[in-house]
This record gives sequence, C-alpha cells and structure tokens, in this order.
Amino acid sequence: MLMFALRRILVSIPVLIGITMILFIMLNVVPGDPVALMMKEHASPDVIARVRAQMHLDDPMIVRYFRFLANALQGDLGNSIKLNRPVTDLLLKAFPNTLMLAVCAALVSWVIGIPAGVLSAVRRDSLIDRFFMGFSLLGVSMPVFWSALLLQYIFAMQLRLLPVSGFYGWKYMILPAIVLGWSSAGVIARLTRSSLLEVMRHDYIRTARAKGLRETGVITRHALKNALIPVVTIMAIQVAGLLSGAVITESIFSIPGVGRITVNAISSRDMPLLQGAVLFATVLVILGNLVADILYSVLDPRIRAQMKKDA
Amino acid sequence: MAAPATPATEPETLEDASFLRDTLRAFRKNRMAMVGLAFVVLLVLGAIFAPWVSPHDPYRVALDEQLLPMSHTYWLGTDNFGRDVLTRILYGARISLMVGIVPSLVSLTIGTVLGILSGYLGGKTDFVVMRLADMMIAFPSLLLAMVVMYTLGANLLNIFLALALVGWASVARVVRSQTLALREKEFIEAARANGTARATIMFAHIFPNVVPTLIVLFSLSIPEAIMWESSLSFLGVGVQPPEASWGLLVAKGKEYIFQAPSVAIAPGIAILLTVMAFNFIGDGLRDALDPSMKD
Amino acid sequence: MILTPKMKLLLASGLASLMLMSPALAENMLRISNTEDPKTADAQMTTDLYTLPLNIFDRLVESETTGPGQSSLVPGLAESWEVSADGLTYTFHLRAGVKFHDGAVLSADDVVYTFDRMLNPATKALNTDILTFIAGAEDRLDGKADSVSGLKALDDHTVQITLAQPYAAFLALLAAPGASIYERAFTEAAGDQFGLTPETTNGTGPFILRDYTLNDSQMLEANDDYWRGRPELDRLLVRVVADSETLRMLFESDEIDVLDLDYAPTQTPYFYGSDTWKDQIRSGPRVGIYYYNINQAQKPFDDVRVRKAFQMAIDRQTIVDKNFYGKGKLEDGVMPRGLTCYAPAEPIAYDPAKAKELLAEAGYPDGVDITLSQAANWSQKWSDMNQIVQAQIAAAGFRATIETPDEATFMAARKAGETHNYMQVWSADFNDPDNFFYTFFSESGSKSRAYNNNDPEVFADIVKARGMVDQEARCKLYQDLTARIVGTDAAWVPLFSLDHNYVVQPRVKNFVVPWNGWSDMSYYKVEVE
Repeated sequence: MLMFALRRILVSIPVLIGITMILFIMLNVVPGDPVALMMKEHASPDVIARVRAQMHLDDPMIVRYFRFLANALQGDLGNSIKLNRPVTDLLLKAFPNTLMLAVCAALVSWVIGIPAGVLSAVRRDSLIDRFFMGFSLLGVSMPVFWSALLLQYIFAMQLRLLPVSGFYGWKYMILPAIVLGWSSAGVIARLTRSSLLEVMRHDYIRTARAKGLRETGVITRHALKNALIPVVTIMAIQVAGLLSGAVITESIFSIPGVGRITVNAISSRDMPLLQGAVLFATVLVILGNLVADILYSVLDPRIRAQMKKDA
Repeated sequence: MAAPATPATEPETLEDASFLRDTLRAFRKNRMAMVGLAFVVLLVLGAIFAPWVSPHDPYRVALDEQLLPMSHTYWLGTDNFGRDVLTRILYGARISLMVGIVPSLVSLTIGTVLGILSGYLGGKTDFVVMRLADMMIAFPSLLLAMVVMYTLGANLLNIFLALALVGWASVARVVRSQTLALREKEFIEAARANGTARATIMFAHIFPNVVPTLIVLFSLSIPEAIMWESSLSFLGVGVQPPEASWGLLVAKGKEYIFQAPSVAIAPGIAILLTVMAFNFIGDGLRDALDPSMKD
Repeated sequence: MILTPKMKLLLASGLASLMLMSPALAENMLRISNTEDPKTADAQMTTDLYTLPLNIFDRLVESETTGPGQSSLVPGLAESWEVSADGLTYTFHLRAGVKFHDGAVLSADDVVYTFDRMLNPATKALNTDILTFIAGAEDRLDGKADSVSGLKALDDHTVQITLAQPYAAFLALLAAPGASIYERAFTEAAGDQFGLTPETTNGTGPFILRDYTLNDSQMLEANDDYWRGRPELDRLLVRVVADSETLRMLFESDEIDVLDLDYAPTQTPYFYGSDTWKDQIRSGPRVGIYYYNINQAQKPFDDVRVRKAFQMAIDRQTIVDKNFYGKGKLEDGVMPRGLTCYAPAEPIAYDPAKAKELLAEAGYPDGVDITLSQAANWSQKWSDMNQIVQAQIAAAGFRATIETPDEATFMAARKAGETHNYMQVWSADFNDPDNFFYTFFSESGSKSRAYNNNDPEVFADIVKARGMVDQEARCKLYQDLTARIVGTDAAWVPLFSLDHNYVVQPRVKNFVVPWNGWSDMSYYKVEVE
C-alpha cells in the first residue's frame, strides 16, 4: 500500500517539473512591458524605465526560470507586480475561501447527483429517472456564468432572500455553491447510475434477490456499497476540478479566492501572480488524482489484490 | 466532462454493413438523440444561411433603437447598439459551432495518432507520450486555456489552439488503452505474423476499430468546447467585440439584465440547448455504437 | 425574467424559513464600493485608486470643494505658508499637536522624510512626478544624491522647500493624494510593507485602516483624536464590486449606501426614472475630458485636413445623449470646464459632408481606411464608444477597423509613439492646466502618448507657462495654446465631459460630489442616520 502511494507520488514529480517549464515558457514569451501596466494612464515614461531596471526584468529567460524554480521549491513564488505582495501569501490567504466553496459545491453535487443516480437506476426509464437525469443534465449544460446570473437575479434581487455577492458568512456561500455544485451534479448522477446498474447485474445481487430480500434492502445494503466506489474516487478528482470551476463562480460572486486572483491576474496582466496561481491549482489537481488513486485502491478489493501481486 | 467511452471489444469495423445498419437503427430509435440531431441540423442551417434567414445586420449601430423589447421586427429585442439579438445569436452560432468542431477535430487527430503510436509501439514512445498527456491533464483545462489566451492574445484562432491543446491528452489516453487491447487480438497478431508493416497495422487495422469510440468522443467534445469557449469569452479572454460569440453576448448583455433581460438570457439559452442537443446525440451514438455500454 | 408577485410569495415562503434576512447594520457605518482592489494605502505607490490615502492621511494643503466643479486650496497639515517673490522658495508652518494614529506627533522631519522617500529610488514610487520640481529631486531619483537638496526642516514645525525653477502649480500639486504625509519612524520600520496591511499603515487622517481583505473589502474606523475633530461616521466599509448589475443589486438590497454610477453607467436611466431613487441622486460636474488621440505619425493623419475631417465626423452630441443618457456636455478645447483658466473654445461642428470634402481635398475622394485602437482589457465603455464612432465616421468616408491589442502591447507601442488613434479620458490630478497640456503636448508627452504633434512653439510655450507667475497672462497663453492645438493643428479631438452621478441611500447625509468629480474622495464630512 505504502509502496503504491510512494510510487504514485514519485511519478508526479517529473510531471510537475514539466508543468513548471511549460508554464514558465508560455508566460514569459509574452510581449509588452509589465511595468508600464503597473502604472496605467497617469505615469510618465521616465518613472517606468526606472522601475523596470529595478525589477531584473532584463535577465535572460533561462536564468529567470532557474531562479523561479529554486525559489518555488522554498515556497517563494515571487512578488505580484500589481499587488506588490508575495504570491504565496496571496494564494494561501485566498485558498480557504476557495476550498470552502469547493467543498460546499461538492456537497451540493452529491446531494443532487447521488440520489438522482440511484433513483434513475432503480426506476430506469420511469418519469423519475427522466426528471432527475434531465435535471442534472441541465446543470451540466448550463454555463456557470449564466446560471449564476439568473439565480442572483431571482433569489437576491427579486426575492431578497440571499445576499447578492461578497463573502461575509455562510449565507453568502449558498448561491455560489448551488451554481457550482449543480454544474457537476450531472457527472456524479451519471456515474452513480451506470455504476449501480453494472453492480446490479452481478451474481451476488441476484443471489440476494433470490433469497427474498426486499429490493430497497438489496440496493442500499449490497449494491450501493459497491456501486459508490468509483463515485467516491471521482469525488477526489472532482474537488480539484471544482477548484478550477471556481474561477468563474468566484468572479461573479466576488469571493476573494484563488479563482478570482487568477482572473484578476489575467486582466491586470500580473505574470508572477498568474504563474503562481496556475501552478497552485495544478498541484491541487495532481494531489486530487493521487488521493483518488489511493482511495480507489483502498476501497476496491480487486485492485488491492492486484497491488499485492505487483509488490 | 467527457465520459470515457470504451466500446468495441469485437473486431468489427465500420465497413461492416450490418454493423452500420444496426447502429443507425439503434440511434434512430433513441428519441432524445433524434431531437438533439434535429436541433443541431436546424442550428447549422440557421448559422450558414444567417444572412438570408435574418433581415437584420448583426453589426449595424442604430442608437435610436437601443434595447427595444421583443417585437415582430425584433423577435428577441435589440441590444445596446440597437442590433437584433436573434440575429446576433445566429451569427454567434457560427463561432460556437466552429469552436465546437475545429479544435475537437484537431485534438482528436493528434490524440488518435499519439494514442495508437503509444499503445502499439510501447516503450519509450509510450512513456514520453503518456507523461506529456499526464502533464496536460494535470493542468486544469480552463486555466490552461486562459494561459494560452494570455500568451497568444485573444482571438478566434488562438481559441482553436487553446482548446486543441486542452483536449488531445484525454483522447490519447482512451485510444491508447483500446490499442493495447486490440494489439492482443488474433486478427492483429495474424497480420503481424504475415509480415505486414507496422504503419499498416496501426492505421489500416487498428485505426478502423477505434473509429466508433472516436465518433463518440467527438460528439461529446463538441459541447465541451462550446462551453469552454463561452467561458473564455465571458471572462474577456476569448472572442472580441464586435464579433458575436454566445459567451460574449451574455457577458456584454448582463449589464442590461434589468432593462432588457433577453439580451443576456437568450444567448445563454442558446448555449444550454446546443450543449444539451450535442450531449443527447453523443449519448445516442454511444448507446448505438456499443450496446454493452447501454446499461 | 419577471416573477409575478404570487410566484415570489410562494418561492419566498418556501425558502424564508431556511434563511435569515440581511443582518442589521452597524451604527453609523457608510458602505461604499470600488470596482477593483486599491492594492495599497500607500499614496506614493498607486496612480489611480485614492480612497484609502484620502481618508487615512492628510496633506500639507488640501483642495476643498467650494461648489459644483469649484475648489480652493486650504491649509491642511500646514497651518500657513509663504512663497518667496521669485517663486522658488516655499516655507510651510506645520500645525502643532497633530498626532498620527500610533500616537506619534507630527514634525517637520516627517514631511522631509515623506517627500524624500518618494524620490528615493529604492522606494520605486509611482507618483514621483509630483515632486520633480524640487531642487535636487532628479539627482535623488537617479541615485546621484543621498538626499534632496531642496528639502529642509528649519525646525520642528517649519519645512522649507526650494524648487529648481518656478512652477506655478506647485501648491496645487501638494494637495494631490500622492503628496500624503507619513511618519518617519513608523514608515521606515514598515519598509516595503507600508500601506499593505492595517498593522503597517499609519497616518494623521480622519480614518484608521482596521481591516483589509484583498479583492474583497477594506474597513476604516473613525480616528477619535483627529485634529479637525472626530468624523461623523464610525466606520467606512469599501467593498470591491466589479460588475455594474451586481452593484445595482447590492444597492437596491441595501447592502451598499453609495452607488457610484461611474461604476454602473448603464443603470443611469433606471435611477433617473425611478420614483424611489430620483431624489437620491447626487450629481456634479467633473474636471475631466474624453478625447480621441490622433497620431500624426500614422497615415493619413499626417495631413491636417484629414485630422479636421476626423474631428468633424464624430457626432459627439449623439454619443452623450444615447450612450451617457445626456448627462454631460460637449468640450471643444484641451481644458475641460472647471479647470483653472478654462474658457470656452471655438466649437467643433458635426459636419460629415464637410468632412467628406476635406478628405477629398486631402486626396481621399473615395474615403480612407483607418484603424482605431483600444487595449483588450479596457472596459466595455470603450469598445462600445469605438463601435459607435466607427459607425458614425463611416458617413464621412472613414472606413475604420478597431484593433484590440492586449494592454502590454498597447502601452509599449504607445510609449514608442506608434499606436493608432485611441479614445481615453483624463481627469485632473490637480487643478491646473499644466496637468493637461504637459501630459499630452509637451515634447515628451506628445511622443510617449503617441500624438507626434511636433510643434516646437507649442513645446516651448508649455515649458514657459509652467513658470509664469502672472496668472492672467498664464491663462491667456493656455487659451492661445488651445486654439493652436485643437483649431489650427487639429492635433486632438475633444469630445465631452460627463457629470458624475451618484445615488445614495436616504440615510446618507452631507454627501458632496468632489470638485474634480473623482470617485475617490474624503468621507470626513459625510454622515449617516
């Protein structure tokens, strides 16, 4: 088990290094003068030239890459050009908000997705099946920015039930979590449904049925337990996916998280900040995949056996 | 998220007439898929023939006709420049459909070639391709696309590039795993024993068997690409005005959500319906091409 | 998307039990918004977002709003001052007993430190322009000197500033937010963290920074010991809200007290038309001008006839009426109304037929292809207006394409004098014409802002006007320059100045639109009930 986890982690390292390289090259070939941007309309050319020289922006790219890598390993992602603060600090301060959003959204997606998947598997081709699958498909097919706008308009503006935007307490989390969670509920629902249908074809379920167990019992006690294995593992991946889905949600609801930082970094062309934010998100995705793999191996006896053989 | 499809366990090919007929029949029986197809056909026609379908100019500026409500002349009202919203959506469909199809084809091509090479040749090729794919998959897709747009600048061609770059890796993975399975099949081993060239085996024998999967992947990656594009444009790093992409229309229209809701809401509905339609088609194709996947 | 009352009721009753309504407001708190994070409270390190500096710090002199679009310079931290007859030496007498938020007492040394800090190259300050007139400032900036020769503390309460050459607008400059005064010991200790957090921010101003959440909000609290007396407000909350429709929703659901319509221009007709809100609108002129840049280095704009045609081809009144709901006035000069020395300039008529003739004379009888420029991340306002102008000038024969390079590329090209005509707005940093003329039409400005209006006489006159002491003659010179630049040379296209409109909740009292029409202002005198 430990060996497996260790090996998975080792494989991730070259991937990570490759990513830093791709990212660095992509972001550093951008033309234009970041310093001119720092100061916008009301700055004189003399001041711009002066600050540019002070920021080592004229070193060759390879020198800058290794400086970046060495610093990144020590947790130093440089300073944001626009915000004049360490990128690492900015990301760590914003991360809890993003994590909170992602977790709430994940909860929403499970609350909608799992029952939808189970119901539509059990009552296949019934009206309930159609309804739930339609509902979750609607979530997948709606652009997040659009559903956010509609929900804001209805619940905050017309009904005055929920705050419009910002993040000052749990009430502010409801709309963003619904918007983001709904968008991935469909994936959960489909996976639950197909996984449950597959499990129910297996012999032991037929046996259980034959023994005269009631259908609900069969499903909850036997089938669901196994059917949820792939669902659980996708949850780990999903949290990472939600973290990047938060990009749009956070900007619409003015939540000061990592996604908002990323969008701001792009619009203000703050290269070090963008670089740090994307790297941060990427590490999270890799971690999510890692957790998923390990979780899967722990939960699924077949894989566990396979691993024993390998090791 | 494209559900990984892993059909075609039997060495049937598309040339197989009865297979094709069965597939079509199964697809035609799927009502949702047919509805989706009808919608897409209408949309494609509307987009191609937009100048004939609509009497309005999508770029005209007429400030005295700003934000008009829905009427017989302007079915969905006008935007802040006095442009017909429905016409803008029809022209926007051109961009959305192109963005759905072109990058998907590119990433499909790249992904298929690399996937077959990787799966069939194994060894170093496999290692390099799969590590590259690992990297691409580890990048959160939207962020990667945003970074590409940041670097290359916001325009349609770069959206194609960004989306192709985002999409090829998952295709390569699926194709590779199928190739691995096919490699061990008797008909491939037979070909190898006959001394058939490797390239021929890969692209004349293995490739046709991957095609059903590719069709499903293609149909599912179209809505995904449309969604990505609308997100990029919404965030301001995609298509630029005065072009009309659906994401951009929502982004620009949301300011007028109170005065003229249709300006922002209608293009959103267009995205919703189109994405749904393609998803229905994709599901229908998957079920039809691979009965084993159907539950 | 309109819900019937019954639907609302149904939905509401179903959901109300689950959620609480908005919490009661803290007493005497004013809630305002900005579209982006100010990034720092340090006025030396920002060139555009001044709400924090204006409320946390004081200046030696302040420009006080005396009426709509009018201001006068009043004593601030300096109780009084003298200017020598040659206009070179300024002596400021500081107010006694002024305390910083940390309890330290203001001294002349703090003032000298503050200005030296700005000019110290290690600070990398962005507002150095304000102080470059001081003798020795350039040497300090270039690292050739360790101090600024023109800055002296004569005693604890007296600061003497010597200029390199007379500069008529120097006092006005010292009232700019960038000239805010810091405390030496505290600021030195904070180093480059100064102004970034509440713990590292310290001023003499009416409010104290208490909380700063990046991209979200800043909370300021009343300074009980403020030398002018405690402010009326207990607290000031500045929220970061980017979208105009979100802002309107926040305002209408009473989560914001002041809605700056600059941040939600498209909502203007709604508020003016609303019975609930139309009496809550506070409006004032602004000392700022929208303009089109013309780059004479790009063909066909090397020809003055083409430039004149371009001026005439834009229907400015329609833009004001349709795009800004009539809340503005046409401008015909370089100086917008409200600025010192302003006088109405020769009106530019909208005349597409005449413009077409001029184009024909210039050798373009069949029209001409031109390019308009805007950086990709400029707000929708700019792309909207460019599209309108694109449609308007087509009638005169200008076939315009709009290019949207990303901002870095645009700025780099502009610095090199190579951009295409672009539209922008300039608001007065301080109330003096030099702030406009020097920025756009001095030798360095004309190039770095891509006008390439290489008129040596204009260059010379702008430099000359800077040092003129006779205000009447000085104003006359600026008016003549206007006629030459806009009329004879047609080097720029003045468009219009817009009123600045706000909507405030009924509980807000004493809200006055600042003289310059800025969004950033001091909230010292504002009250809430």
